[in-house]
Amino acid sequence: MAGRESRTDIGAADVLPEVRLVGVTKRFGAVLANDSISLSIMPGRIMALLGENGAGKSTLMAMLAGCFKPDSGHIEVEGRRVDFASPREAIAAGIGMVYQHFMLVENMTVAENVLLGQEGGFLLDPAAMHAAVTELSERFALPIDPGARVGDLSMGERQRVEILKLLHRQSRVLIFDEPTAVLTPVEAEALFAALRAMSAQGKAIVFISHKLEEVLALADEIAILRRGRIEGEFLAADVQSPADLARRMVGRDVVLEIGREPMETGEVVLDVRHLGGPGLDDVSLSLRRGEILAMVGVAGNGQQQLVETVCGLSRPRTGEVELLGRSWDDFFHCRDWQGALAWVPEDRTGLATCGSLDLTDNLLLTTRQGFSKGMWLRRARAREVAREIVRTHNVQPGRIDLPAWQLSGGNLQKFVLGRELLRRPRLLVAEQPTQGLDISATEAVWRRLLTARADMGVLLVTGDLTEALQLADRVAVMFRGRIMGQFPTGDAARVERIGALMAGLSE
Amino acid sequence: MSPDLIVALLAAAVQGAAPILFATLGEILSEKAGVLNLGVEGVMAISAFAAFFVCLQTGSATLGLLAGGLAGSLMCGLHSLVCQVFLGNQVVSGLALTIFGVGLSNYLGTPYVGAGTVGFRQASVPLLAQIPWLGPILFQQDAMVYLGYLAPVAVWFLLNRTSLGLGLRATGEMPAAAAAAGLNPQRLRAFGVMAGGFLCGLGGAYLSLAYTHMWTIGLSGGRGWVAVALVIFAFWRPFRAVVGALLFGGVMAFQLRLQAEGTNIPSSLLLMLPYLLTILALVFSAARAHRAGRNAAAAPAALGVNIEPEG
Repeated sequence: MAGRESRTDIGAADVLPEVRLVGVTKRFGAVLANDSISLSIMPGRIMALLGENGAGKSTLMAMLAGCFKPDSGHIEVEGRRVDFASPREAIAAGIGMVYQHFMLVENMTVAENVLLGQEGGFLLDPAAMHAAVTELSERFALPIDPGARVGDLSMGERQRVEILKLLHRQSRVLIFDEPTAVLTPVEAEALFAALRAMSAQGKAIVFISHKLEEVLALADEIAILRRGRIEGEFLAADVQSPADLARRMVGRDVVLEIGREPMETGEVVLDVRHLGGPGLDDVSLSLRRGEILAMVGVAGNGQQQLVETVCGLSRPRTGEVELLGRSWDDFFHCRDWQGALAWVPEDRTGLATCGSLDLTDNLLLTTRQGFSKGMWLRRARAREVAREIVRTHNVQPGRIDLPAWQLSGGNLQKFVLGRELLRRPRLLVAEQPTQGLDISATEAVWRRLLTARADMGVLLVTGDLTEALQLADRVAVMFRGRIMGQFPTGDAARVERIGALMAGLSE
Repeated sequence: MSPDLIVALLAAAVQGAAPILFATLGEILSEKAGVLNLGVEGVMAISAFAAFFVCLQTGSATLGLLAGGLAGSLMCGLHSLVCQVFLGNQVVSGLALTIFGVGLSNYLGTPYVGAGTVGFRQASVPLLAQIPWLGPILFQQDAMVYLGYLAPVAVWFLLNRTSLGLGLRATGEMPAAAAAAGLNPQRLRAFGVMAGGFLCGLGGAYLSLAYTHMWTIGLSGGRGWVAVALVIFAFWRPFRAVVGALLFGGVMAFQLRLQAEGTNIPSSLLLMLPYLLTILALVFSAARAHRAGRNAAAAPAALGVNIEPEG
């Protein structure tokens, strides 16, 4: 199109938006997901689409990607009105999307995935396919082995394959749906570098996120979506601080700095001494009532094995684990439902709850004591308690007859936490308790954990350093199954070194 | 055993393998696209009758063969309709297809029981048929067996060297990924099921046109089920399917020969042999897959899972 040059100066009048959304509205049943949204996406710019869970970000982007059509309003590409009937048409128009859950076939190679639907002829030539992918990965500095099976790759590498798919399709607009949710901090940095490089080459980048820091670090422009409407559109340079951005996002002040008062510690609830075994190497730690101990580290450095041992899924191989003053064997041989151990697992929909059961049944999953009379379940009593949890923990939409899968991540997590705290545990293991949650849900979960520690010791396993430093009284850094360092979060000098410890450099 | 007898046995094994091979390849196509079709037995029965009937009416074996293939495609189209449009359970629909197919072919075929037809006759390949040992075993067969030599290559080529096959495999592994790449997974599945149905139909047609040259009740004789099992034995690979089909055909030929020789072993026990072998083959492949880890078995990840419509 004439007049479109690879300029990145947004002030210049001759730069046409790559894509324009004009009054786009989409409704699912009674829910208004997108309410007359207008937005311009410029070439060579990175736009962040910020909003809480359920604000309509994914719906908006899915319409751009051709997954479904707007009820009213329309989309313009390079000034021309388009009407996508399928993802194929959106791809042909130069719009590509990297989904949060990768759309990759694990059992096929990188090259096959990149070229799927774009083979350029009926017959395939594996050698030429490899060469094409190699060439592309070198041009955009996204190193990958084209012959590798996607199922064998790390999450960061899989995301690279997704990006290569779009680049191969000559997409000019690249949409990323929460791209860092599955990445390690190092992989996320590499992704940011790649995004900046692509934007420098004139690609328009849109990324959906609710992580304020990453939005501020990466975006040129920020658009805020709240309850299906654009509530603000501004340059990232105009934002003063993450708190400022958070306020614009939720429309009210959210205390990101959560006040944590030190608490008097009580008896030891968890004592791990020289624990070894697969993935664990001489782990020692102890936890008292009244404190939160955060285990931080890149995922896959032994946190899971530690949690499984503490929660009784696997028996300690070497070393000793004492829970509430009893040995591991003794504790799990005759365990009490009340006043003992509770676990909030990372896998909210797979381990913590059963998606197709309603909230009452999900309550009964881990909490049967007090709800049974001989062999009979007292469901009426269970319903009452479930209703109580829903009320005190503000679980939306406030009904207990809904199957768990219909709850949003944040509300489900609030319910799970409420259920686990119901048993008044003295030791709580919480794994990534706020992963994927929006700010208000995160805040609610944080507050619950902080107040809960009055009665218990909390072992918090998290990949989110902010969370660890906000909540924990002490932090332990894990690397390759070892604890690299363990210190109070008040120790500023050592907190500074957490990044180095996570990377395996010892104190 | 005399050399002649061994050659005759092996040639019979090749002939016995042909219908199973077609059906197994057909089921591989269907399953690679993500649709489990337990209706192979019924599809083969219907196709055997369609092929027989058309050949009887027109006197053309080729037309009969075509009719068998088309009948297979139609039957599997029914399966595709139930599973893809009405989102029916693939296992239930497949079982229904078997009951329906076997029943209908018996009903339609009753007036023709015992009737013969031209079908395919032995047609030696010039020169190749003269090779000692190999010639009589491989190249003094009927035209459909030669077609069977090409079929695994064709299916392998389709799956691994064409864009259609790549899309088909993607659909069987992860329909959402295929859709995101701009492909139409529903259409690809329908193609896989119906193309597979055509191959199963060829397998059925072989039974009436080349194996017996006449119509009897229960012609398919459980071969469809064997084909379903052999797909697992073959780890969904066309060339391994050849091995499985030959094993089965070999035991089939062997037990027939034993019966003809008149042994003391009860014939019902002998008749059991091929199916016993099928079970053993399955146990063997399951054990092997278990030892080699998940990847070796390589069942398509979305096999048996219907594509739910959006929203």
